[in-house]
Amino acid sequence: MAEIRLPKNSRVTPGKHWPAPQGAGKVKTFKVYRYDPDSGQNPRWDTYDVDVSQCGPMVLDVLIHIKNTIDPTLTFRRSCREGICGSCAMNIAGRNTLACTHGHEECPGDKVSISPLPHMPVVKDLIPDLTLFYAQYASVEPWLKTETPEPQKEWAQSPQDREKLDGLYECILCACCSTSCPSYWWNQEKYLGPAALLHAYRWIIDSRDEATGERLDELEDPFKLYRCHTIMNCAQVCPKGLNPAKAIAEVKKMLVERVV
Amino acid sequence: MSTYEFIDHKFDVVVVGAGGSGLRAALGCAQAGLKTACITKVFPTRSHTVAAQGGISASLGNMGEDDWRWHMYDTVKGSDWLGDQDAIEYLCRNAPAAVYELEHWGVPFSRTADGKIYQRAFGGMTRNFGEAPIQRTCAAADRTGHAMLHTMYGQSLAHDTEFFIEFFALDLIMDEGVCRGVTAWKLDDGTLHRFQAQLVILATGGYGRAYFSATSAHTCTGDGGGMVLRAGLPLQDMEFVQFHPTGIYGAGCLITEGARGEGGYLTNSEGERFMERYAPTVKDLAPRDMVSRAMTMEIREGRGVGPKKDHIFLHLDHLDPKILAERLPGISESAKIFAGVDVTKEPIPVLPTVHYNMGGIPTNFYSEVVTKDGKNPDKTVPGLMAVGEAACVSVHGANRLGSNSLIDLVVFGRSAALRAADTIKAGATQPELKDHMTDAHLARLDRFRNAQGSTPTAALRLEMQMAMQEDAAVYRTSEALASGVKRMHAVAAKRPDLKVTDRSMIWNSDLMETLELDNLIGQALVTVVGAHNRTESRGAHAHEDFPERDDKTWMKHTLTWFDDPTGKVKIDYRPVHDYTMTNEIAPFPPKARVY
Amino acid sequence: MASYRTPLSRARGLGSAKHGVGHWIGERVGAVALIPLTIWAVYAVMRLAALDYYGAVEWISTPLNMTLMVLTLAISFWHMHSGLRVVVEDYIHKTLTKTGLLLLNLFVCGLAGALAVFSVLKVALGGA
Repeated sequence: MAEIRLPKNSRVTPGKHWPAPQGAGKVKTFKVYRYDPDSGQNPRWDTYDVDVSQCGPMVLDVLIHIKNTIDPTLTFRRSCREGICGSCAMNIAGRNTLACTHGHEECPGDKVSISPLPHMPVVKDLIPDLTLFYAQYASVEPWLKTETPEPQKEWAQSPQDREKLDGLYECILCACCSTSCPSYWWNQEKYLGPAALLHAYRWIIDSRDEATGERLDELEDPFKLYRCHTIMNCAQVCPKGLNPAKAIAEVKKMLVERVV
Repeated sequence: MSTYEFIDHKFDVVVVGAGGSGLRAALGCAQAGLKTACITKVFPTRSHTVAAQGGISASLGNMGEDDWRWHMYDTVKGSDWLGDQDAIEYLCRNAPAAVYELEHWGVPFSRTADGKIYQRAFGGMTRNFGEAPIQRTCAAADRTGHAMLHTMYGQSLAHDTEFFIEFFALDLIMDEGVCRGVTAWKLDDGTLHRFQAQLVILATGGYGRAYFSATSAHTCTGDGGGMVLRAGLPLQDMEFVQFHPTGIYGAGCLITEGARGEGGYLTNSEGERFMERYAPTVKDLAPRDMVSRAMTMEIREGRGVGPKKDHIFLHLDHLDPKILAERLPGISESAKIFAGVDVTKEPIPVLPTVHYNMGGIPTNFYSEVVTKDGKNPDKTVPGLMAVGEAACVSVHGANRLGSNSLIDLVVFGRSAALRAADTIKAGATQPELKDHMTDAHLARLDRFRNAQGSTPTAALRLEMQMAMQEDAAVYRTSEALASGVKRMHAVAAKRPDLKVTDRSMIWNSDLMETLELDNLIGQALVTVVGAHNRTESRGAHAHEDFPERDDKTWMKHTLTWFDDPTGKVKIDYRPVHDYTMTNEIAPFPPKARVY
Repeated sequence: MASYRTPLSRARGLGSAKHGVGHWIGERVGAVALIPLTIWAVYAVMRLAALDYYGAVEWISTPLNMTLMVLTLAISFWHMHSGLRVVVEDYIHKTLTKTGLLLLNLFVCGLAGALAVFSVLKVALGGA
């Protein structure tokens, strides 16, 4: 059966409270998921009372402030801090998003919970293991396949055909969509998930690609593709405003087109 | 010292870094049949190439006549004649083929009506040797770096490159002046790894995070430069730090120069398009060093905008919203998120922000690392190459032109792979590694891991960043630079007092940031020492006490060595290559740089 | 549970079944067909409620009514089978339980559907 409760060793226990320093300005509380793989203990919720007047507007600014001035052991991925690298995807106030483009003011309530992307193995604190997610991306063979000898210059592509890639190629592989998808939670081992399927469609619809049929063949599977039940969480949470559900629907449409 | 054990790997080539140049080099080596590893501290598509926006320059001539010679002239002039002209010729000649190759791999370039790659105008890119701006920069909307990086990662999945992801490189394994490999720390399980290779290619990017405000990612800590300094090798032209004119005020996020390429312009508090005064021919499309200086002048003279009169406006609100949506969607989104500005209605508040390091690991145009040995200024270091922002070929000289960095990545990534294929034999026998070659690597790791001083990493980092920000800025004076040298020496001297809280080996980001800080400090120090030493103004190095370019004394590359234990910096010089690669073009002799 | 399979091997799993579109089309076609059929069924129930036994037998014996009734029942059970099958595939991961439930679903829906269809035919054709 699908597991309703977390396994025993994954249940989150109450953790440490870090009060705000004396004379702090505007204080906001952040409840952060902590997991220390060395300790052998269950994960815990540490709460940090942060003087948000001392840090920038984004949740990532808050996390960096915590790491720099309160608790250097707090661990999370981050890089570009402008929403293009996809490193700092996490679950903030119950919603998967990028910490670097999500303002802490946007979070409802006076206590903001921050946890790793749901339903993935946790390596440490806010760092999920995305190995399988990346492998699923690789499994859709995300490269241009051509057999016609390459031209001396570029492959010609009309602006209209190029426009079909908009809303697809911008994906930053942050995994917010896949890890928000209940179908992906239940069938991670067999369902490719919205991100990989969006990329699959990105190459299927590329007018330069010559392997459309094979790509469709590889996707036509009750699990790899058809576990998408149009729940639409993926489109709801995508921090880049993309719509993986629509891309999946387009793939399903093409499969129908092929037989009808 | 606790005992550490290495897990050993043997490859023909090890590439450190998986940004644009690292992926291109790794891909090329794998295609050439060399057993290739690519180790990277972040997942490849998170490398900072992903943030490049505007485009990649190449004289395709899709928007009207173009010529690689014109591109070469612009690059030489843009470099303020500090660039090596043989390397610049190599770059510009090979640029079109490199872009076509990317297109064949699937990069979703924007298109012209007749189906060709769309090209836009960029700063300093001109037709017919400086006559008027030209459209030479190939673009995928304003997400060119992202499109390139994802495509190249996809392409390397199609080939036999073996990735080691979230491995943090520690140090180069040096054996009597020969590089034999690199050591690395695997973050997710805490194991240590020893990669032996006939050839190590450093593609570790720039060190923008030495400054407080930079467009660079948090991960841009120039780890390759740090490793090279510790290996006793010099870095070149480190005093040349590019300030991008349009970083978002406050947040520091990048707004592409392509915004001006599409018709955007800058105004001061009087609403004046002041660039017309500073660069009458190319106006807002002047090279970055000039625009940054002009903006700084305007602010200094009291014509800045905002309540503190401390920034400048970038206008896009006169452009057709359809064009903005099609060609500049990414920066429209960034401006909204980080400045709360709707670009179709309001100007974006911007400020010159640290963006790129022209300096780096000196190489020739085969991407082989060179050093100065006695009288020989071009002695190659066996077994070691460097590409991308980490390297200093030097094609950018004293100032890089916008969109020349992406082309630098792929052209020299490719050249490194070609050279590797020419010079090494797949599967050749490699000498056995000895413990003494890596003892210092472990000692350093262990020292920082157990650092119990009183200065937290974040505090020392901030001290360094503020020193660099204040004393090695757009305009520099002897006094500021002297203060910077003093402050940076103080920062370097505080390293033994660092305090690391996390003792774990698994994803210990406290330790990783400390190792990165150590890498940054050496580079920041040689930057400010090099800047203090260079008593002239050239390109991005604008010295107020020496406002003129001095070709007689300073037409030469600075080399800086850093003695890690003592913090002492040694300076020497290499001549600029004022000759071209082939006889098909004559070198461009230096002249006044006006636009 | 340590797994030493490579990530790509896990992601590829057993490969593509290269079918699924038929099932997907079937689900949609069935669902679409059930819209008019269900409306008709509601009408039929109201109609039948107003008739006595002989009237009802006569009504159901007309070719159109009989066919529609058979189609409604057959497609409903088929649709139910498809829907439940997805639920089982989604949530049940133990091979034995899953196989058991899938078979149970097939047998129960098949039996119930067959019974329903046979009953209608018996009434309509048997002239009881």
